Amino acid sequence: MQEFDVLVVGGGASGLRAAIAAKHAGASVALITKVHPLRTNTAIAQGGLNAPLSKDDSPEIFAEDTLLAGDGLCDRNIARTFAQEASEDVIWLERMGVPFNRNKDGRLDLRPFGSNSRRRTCYTDDRTGHIVLQVLHEQFQRHQIPSFEEWFVTSLAVDGDSCLGVIALGLRSGRLDAFTARAIILATGGFTRMYLPSTASIGTTGDGQSLAHKAGARLMDMEMIQFHPTVFPKGQGLLITESVLGEGAEIVNDKGEAILASKAVPRHTLSVSLHEAMQNGSGAVALDLKRIGNEKLMSCFPQTAESARTVAGIDITKESVPIMPLAHRPMGGIETNLAGETTLRGLFAVGECACNGLNGAGRLAGNTLTEAVTFGRKVGEAAARYAKGAAKRNFPAGKLTDEEKRLASISGGDSSGDSPGKIHSELGKLMNERVGLVRDGAALKEALERIQGLKERYRKIRVRNPSRIYNYELTSYLELESMLNLAEIVTLAAQARTESRGAHRRADFPERDDRNWRSHTLVSLVQGTPKLNQKPVTG
Amino acid sequence: MEVTFKVYRKDPEKDGKPGRSNYTVELPEDATVLDGLLKIRDEMDGTLAFRASCLRGYCGECMMRVNNSARLTCTAKVSAYTKKGPEISLDPPRNVPVVKDLVFDWDAFMWNKIKTVKPWLEPTGEASDGENLIPDAAMKDLRKVMSCYYCGMCDEGCTVLPVDFNFLGPAALTKAYRFVFDPRAKDTRERLKILEQPKGIWDCVHCFEADEHCPRGIEPTKRILAIRDKAYKVGITNEKVARHHASFAASVKESGWLDEGRLALESEGLTNIKGLMKLLPTAAKALLRGKAPIPYLHAKRPGADKIKKIFEKGEGEKK
Amino acid sequence: MKYAFYPGCVSRGGCPELYPSAVKVSAKLGIELEEMKDVACTGAGVLPQHISDPINARTFAKAEQLGLPIMTICSTCQGVFAQANYRLKNDSEYREKINREYLAEEGLKYKGTTEVKHLLWVLFEDYGVDKLKSMIRRPLNGLKVSPFYGCFIRRPPEAITPTKELSRRKNYLDELIEILGAELTDISGKGKCCGFPILTANEENSLAMAGKHTGEAKEKGADCMVTPCPLCHLNLDGNQPRAEAQKGEKIGLPILHLPQFLGLALGFDPDEMNLKRHIVSTRTVEAKVEMLT
Repeated sequence: MQEFDVLVVGGGASGLRAAIAAKHAGASVALITKVHPLRTNTAIAQGGLNAPLSKDDSPEIFAEDTLLAGDGLCDRNIARTFAQEASEDVIWLERMGVPFNRNKDGRLDLRPFGSNSRRRTCYTDDRTGHIVLQVLHEQFQRHQIPSFEEWFVTSLAVDGDSCLGVIALGLRSGRLDAFTARAIILATGGFTRMYLPSTASIGTTGDGQSLAHKAGARLMDMEMIQFHPTVFPKGQGLLITESVLGEGAEIVNDKGEAILASKAVPRHTLSVSLHEAMQNGSGAVALDLKRIGNEKLMSCFPQTAESARTVAGIDITKESVPIMPLAHRPMGGIETNLAGETTLRGLFAVGECACNGLNGAGRLAGNTLTEAVTFGRKVGEAAARYAKGAAKRNFPAGKLTDEEKRLASISGGDSSGDSPGKIHSELGKLMNERVGLVRDGAALKEALERIQGLKERYRKIRVRNPSRIYNYELTSYLELESMLNLAEIVTLAAQARTESRGAHRRADFPERDDRNWRSHTLVSLVQGTPKLNQKPVTG
Repeated sequence: MEVTFKVYRKDPEKDGKPGRSNYTVELPEDATVLDGLLKIRDEMDGTLAFRASCLRGYCGECMMRVNNSARLTCTAKVSAYTKKGPEISLDPPRNVPVVKDLVFDWDAFMWNKIKTVKPWLEPTGEASDGENLIPDAAMKDLRKVMSCYYCGMCDEGCTVLPVDFNFLGPAALTKAYRFVFDPRAKDTRERLKILEQPKGIWDCVHCFEADEHCPRGIEPTKRILAIRDKAYKVGITNEKVARHHASFAASVKESGWLDEGRLALESEGLTNIKGLMKLLPTAAKALLRGKAPIPYLHAKRPGADKIKKIFEKGEGEKK
Repeated sequence: MKYAFYPGCVSRGGCPELYPSAVKVSAKLGIELEEMKDVACTGAGVLPQHISDPINARTFAKAEQLGLPIMTICSTCQGVFAQANYRLKNDSEYREKINREYLAEEGLKYKGTTEVKHLLWVLFEDYGVDKLKSMIRRPLNGLKVSPFYGCFIRRPPEAITPTKELSRRKNYLDELIEILGAELTDISGKGKCCGFPILTANEENSLAMAGKHTGEAKEKGADCMVTPCPLCHLNLDGNQPRAEAQKGEKIGLPILHLPQFLGLALGFDPDEMNLKRHIVSTRTVEAKVEMLT
């Protein structure tokens, strides 16, 4: 049994930032993560992070751009607070050592990105996530925070309406152990691996959201999933940073003609336009980066050049990259307030697994990394404060033995030719085709039925590998459960929202309906079934 | 296309002895080696242990030897290998303790070594003061070095690690470079002291294997050499190495070429009787065969005065 | 075929058997050498770049004055030169700076045109394999030889093997062994480090490396090892007894310099190649060679 004031689950940018902030605030902190922090999904982020630093910008304008991208579903107060605090958090990163690109005055260079109305995106070439993650990990190490790496959380321990801690499997030791904490922060990332292909890492399976939901916490706006417009769709999917559009790249048809006004447009708009262009006979759509010019391409987008070459086999100085909008990251997640508190006492959430109302129906390009550091800090501090005042609670030993039994019950036995991979493959295809960029009632209904079918097949499968040591068959089996759970919730939420708003497009309800739908979709578990509700947008 | 993977196995829960399992799978034409592994684990053998994360060549987690050459399996196209033959062998990287099958001990191999080089900036100033004002040229090099995704291929190819696992290795030393050359770091001397300890920068043989192995062109060997050059400028704190370098520089400065006899003696230290005694057997043999350059009896080369001038000028650049 | 000859420091210092054998062999082959006398040590990777680059630029400028390519007989000299030349050739601003601040005083200027080749490369790239074959007087049949290149003559890629064609440089020594009639006893360590650079900083590792590679060759049945680098020779031959002591194992593998090995095939006697100078006795090799005469 391990005991801490604050336990952070998930070693990506928001988790690391939260852990640092909680430690700084005087709490005893530990991080638990299923992969090493430097292998998390943050590493894939490229474009940059927003901060209203230039003279012609301000927190007010930044907040407005955020609200606009959210298409009426953002909570104004949260947006305002975020916009006001963002600059200092981004500068903090520079002070901690991020080698941001500079302008000729030696200040942070700001580039145009997505639908930001001002230049406000700080960046490190096209490797911003990768480098910011390293610096956060560096500072995490400086704070000497104990780190349980390659520990897979199998369940949250709950007592009534409060969270006691987590139970996790150590992949190296094969041991199941309980981690008690007065405050638990989930920073486990998104869930778009339920779409195949998508832009996500193999572990982006929504474990945090699923565990929280099962434990009684509410999820919010789960139907809001951002599809990234410029993704190479073969194999696992390769994201091309949208910032290339701001530097001169164009979206072209199969004749090489530019077909879309692609600058300064919110992602959901661009994705839908792309989708329509593809449907209306532009043939294959591609991203022409040649127009940026070789020198600029190689110096500003080295990562893009390398990835296109090694993953897609394309030389971006010579050929265009075929693209398609693919599932990228969720706006929705575990419902939280500004301090990151969920509806379960003692349980906090931050980053992509959380939904605090900032992003609404669409995330402004460049906000995600800034959110990770701003809310990472705020939630870490809030959790530390909470832990200070919280009473120590008992962690019943029975919970650990129950979990042992549960894991044992899914081991052994035959799956008769079926497999988690096959189920995942079908789920991924189903989500793309029926719960994808543009949805409609009939497709969503069919999707729900088929998800039920997949869930039934899942229940019959057993994990053949009896070992507990580096048993990835077991962990991917558990990850699939999270994805199936959340897939059903996403589809239910999409089905319920009979309007089109931001990233949620309904072919059968193409207009935005503020009279009925200026509200967040809430999902909670009531006697084993997801129950939907709404709450109005504030501000 | 059909392909057979011959995969290294090791089970710590059984006898822990290395073995091999063969799997023949049907894969699409554009499949990667990782796709093959995932299919094997899902459909054929759930006990096979291997790591993966980003699936797209971003994070370095899936590094292993494919047909004996270290690489990331998520960007290794199967068709590139099957062109030469229907079998692909998969092994953990060299120079590394293996835990289970293709899962090896990243901590011992790299993470723990990185921890020893003080891998963080000691920040100065407050965020509320705004950012440090720095020209981009200084940051550009750091961004290049920080494009490292800790794939470990440099360590895998290192010629020192098979002989001495405790050598810090190119990955950790490249990480150290990032701080030694960050203008915002005010503790360079302290850092150099750490890096000059045994197992650090002076243990590198600068064989350039790391540069050849790095898939990102970060040139770890050159980074290590740059740290050494900086240590030279600032003042080498490793005593023996300092003596060696000073002696080498002194004889080239004075005469234009190396006085090896002098170098051998002065590296040990002229008052280091124990060290000098150690050289005796070899020196005796060499003397007998006319192979021992007599120290200090060392003629000046023509042009030696010009060389001296270059030294003086170069040494004036000491910081 | 004429070269500005750069013998380096060790070929007349710790390995004085190397210089005369190199000179004799070059004369025999008809390779004309004009020795560069007023140039300095390359720095051998010990001197820092801000001092060694100007010194080496000066050497290159003097070769340019002679209008000759430079020939080396030491992998380390070759490697250091190649890396410095790569920097000076590809960064004209850097070259101009060094010209201005260091060479101008002497009235020298490096224009970036000097080529530097090790004797091993000269044989394959300038002399020609066919011509070389015609000069063999004593094919070294039955002599089992392991190659040991020395890191500096194999890497880094941009300075040593910048083109697909020049990647062959990584195999020249293997090829030469067979061209001269000997039997190639390949070892996995042939391109690895001999340990010499860390002799001061980490003697234990240095001797372990020397012992490892010579041990591997011995185990695989080699009669001797051949190396184009006298610094490797110093560790592999000079420190072999110490490597044996550390390993706790006898090795006793004779180590030949490249020109000595070549010289034997060209018809020179072992004494003419100064084989008796070595620390590890070359008697077994001499005996085998005598049988071939």
